[in-house]
Amino acid sequence: MIMKEKIIGRVWVITDRDGKPIDDIDTDMIYHNKHLAVVDIGEMAQYAFGNLEGWQDFPKKAERGDILIVGKNFGAGSSRQHAVDCFIALGISAIVGESFGAIYYRNAINAGLPIFVAPNIASSSIRSGDKIEIDTTTGKIFNITRNTELPPAKPMSDVQKKIIEAGGLLELAGKGF
Amino acid sequence: MAQTIAQKILAAHSGNDTVEVNQIVSVKPDYVLSHDNTAAIRKKFEQIGVKKIFDPNMPVVVLDHTVPPSTAQYANNHKSIREFVEQHKIAHFYDMGRGICHQVLSEEGFAYPGALILGADSHTTTYGAFGAASAGIGRSEVAAIWATGEMWLMVPPTIKIVVNGKMPRGTTSKDLMLHIIGEIGADGALYKSMEFYGSTIENMSIASRMVLSNMAVEAGAKFGIIPPDEKTDDFLKDIARAEYKKVFADEDAQYESEIRYDAEKLVPVVAAPHTVDNVFPASDVDEEKVHQVFLGTCTNGRVEDFHKAAEILAGRKVADGTRLLVFPASSKVLKEIILDGTAEKLIDAGAILMNPGCGPCLGAHEGVLADGEVCVSTANRNFLGRMGNKNAAIYLASPYTAAAAAVAGKIIDPRELL
Repeated sequence: MIMKEKIIGRVWVITDRDGKPIDDIDTDMIYHNKHLAVVDIGEMAQYAFGNLEGWQDFPKKAERGDILIVGKNFGAGSSRQHAVDCFIALGISAIVGESFGAIYYRNAINAGLPIFVAPNIASSSIRSGDKIEIDTTTGKIFNITRNTELPPAKPMSDVQKKIIEAGGLLELAGKGF
Repeated sequence: MAQTIAQKILAAHSGNDTVEVNQIVSVKPDYVLSHDNTAAIRKKFEQIGVKKIFDPNMPVVVLDHTVPPSTAQYANNHKSIREFVEQHKIAHFYDMGRGICHQVLSEEGFAYPGALILGADSHTTTYGAFGAASAGIGRSEVAAIWATGEMWLMVPPTIKIVVNGKMPRGTTSKDLMLHIIGEIGADGALYKSMEFYGSTIENMSIASRMVLSNMAVEAGAKFGIIPPDEKTDDFLKDIARAEYKKVFADEDAQYESEIRYDAEKLVPVVAAPHTVDNVFPASDVDEEKVHQVFLGTCTNGRVEDFHKAAEILAGRKVADGTRLLVFPASSKVLKEIILDGTAEKLIDAGAILMNPGCGPCLGAHEGVLADGEVCVSTANRNFLGRMGNKNAAIYLASPYTAAAAAVAGKIIDPRELL
């Protein structure tokens, strides 16, 4: 897989009822522990955000290519990879957040899911339904719908690009790094 | 270049003299841990297409999460793991009953100063208590390490935590760590290493130190490292898996920040539902019926924890309408509390003595909560639904506070019963 220069997609800003970005969304909210025995990635899609107040119907609303915009410390908690894989199964093309749980961040990189740290992104002018463009080299994010520049993301590291280009860590490991 | 403990251990495992903060390095870990999730990791490993495990001495596999299995699916996973271990001649395998992975690796001498241990479990940070650098990683990463013996890591910046003073009666390292997490927040140490210093830490037992390192990840930390000392050597005498050299930070090492605490000001605290940083003095919690008390886990399932619980429970009874579940962290702990009479005191008080393992911590079995119930737990997470029911509430506390809640049937300051 060649790393796309630009990722373009419709966004979901993960907010509460008052429109405030939800911080500290843990892996139990993203993918509840009662479905941990599932090993088939395709089956995981239906459980994404199954334990996050107001977002339980997300798997029905999400479309392939959509982008998630999240607040601080997204994916805190357990090391479960289901919490990344469920979004891959839904076809989510990137996750952009203000910060991530350390293991979650690694899991996303290693699964080949583009993940970006962009301080202040969730509290910016961005709204669910907007179409944005992420420049994977520079980290610049542009809101196509509103024709405005958004708070930029940190550019991807070389390791991250290498893994995405290989199609994931396992594929890279098969080639002996 | 002056370096922190994290920098030194990562440099030594990546073939560098020194490494810089935020540098990405390829490391060769000493051990890589997995538990019941080995069944899923096996699938990922087989997907890579490599025939052999790079080094069969590197993986350590412990069955602890759903033991004994409560469903056919869990049982089949265990079976698949045993077959895989046999097929690949994995050298270090502990079947169900030996205990919780982090306790087992500690008791079996895998965690020693300067070691680098990665594991498919977020509480792999526990080995920092022995002066090791250890962190949780994902399942794919474990599969990749099985295949290649290597993994990439980003060198974390380090926060220096200094705690001085004598811990007041009725408080434990659990109260200290909950207090710290309450102050810095669940993301207060995100992707950073914590190093713990000060007289309070020096005076702590290894078991108490393990609580700090175990819960470092609840502040988002990559590592939670405590400089090794004679207590570390004593613990590791005759059991260390390798000859080790203690690793210390350079005096002029660069810390991102330094936070100081006065242990003498500590009071018994709880982390109220549903986040670990939602911390209050136990005495401030409004009267609420406690239905279940859970003593155990990789955080507080060691001998000293049951001794503390017994200080409160001996000669008393668990309140009507409250259940007390006791899960020793390992078979060694279980045996010790039986031999020294602690188990008897707990059972006489009305405790249900369970098998070594993770128990209901992850909500799969052995003590799932009912709708509307409240649990006081000595574990490390109180996320909504963590114990198998999102209509239930979990308070995290020390063994003293948990035992006191079992007697009172509600959350109280444990000093009332000490």
